[in-house]
Amino acid sequence: MFVYEKQLQYPVKIKNPNPALAKIIITQYGGPDGELGASIRYLSQRFAMPLPELKATLTDIGTEELNHLEMIGAIVYQLTRNLSEEDIKKAGFDAYFVDHTTGVAPVSSAGVPFDAFAVASKGDPVTDLHESLAADGKAM
Amino acid sequence: MTEREMLLKKIGTCKFAVTDIDMFLDTHPGDTEMLKKREEYIEQLKPLVEQYEEKFGPLTKCENDANTWAWVKDPWPWDMEG
Repeated sequence: MFVYEKQLQYPVKIKNPNPALAKIIITQYGGPDGELGASIRYLSQRFAMPLPELKATLTDIGTEELNHLEMIGAIVYQLTRNLSEEDIKKAGFDAYFVDHTTGVAPVSSAGVPFDAFAVASKGDPVTDLHESLAADGKAM
Repeated sequence: MTEREMLLKKIGTCKFAVTDIDMFLDTHPGDTEMLKKREEYIEQLKPLVEQYEEKFGPLTKCENDANTWAWVKDPWPWDMEG
């Protein structure tokens, strides 16, 4: 069960829009090594864990990743506020805009929609924990 | 920084400490020193959350004014203006 707290883990307060930067940062939201994949990975792998310490750790880390997902979403949202048509075109944000306008969508920087194939959940604790470690390395 | 932002930052700092300790305790559940430390941060949090909610509205759905569902009120966490 999840309970929402009406606060970001760390405040996001962006003054100047920057759609070019948003286009890069969106990959940390819905790209192959982004926070969506991270949270779903840990929260899915935990069901097959045989020890209470592992169930607790994956539950808490998966939840922590949801905090990150929310902050990245807020960053993208704030970077794309009040854009003019010229801003959008000049920043190369038009390719994103035509599909999503300024909605925050789980896609990579190159526009590839989030793919669950970026996440492994094999039901074998050793396999899954290795995959988690590798995924954390990729996200650094 | 506004008073609201200042309070949120203090609350966020304490919450972050608690979250970090939680994850340590997941693999060290018998560490009494850490359990004590966690309690200390929770105690620090209480008056800050109380002060915040009284002035700026609920952080969780527990806090509720009988006349209105304050939960829905702006600003939501991603709404900060730079």
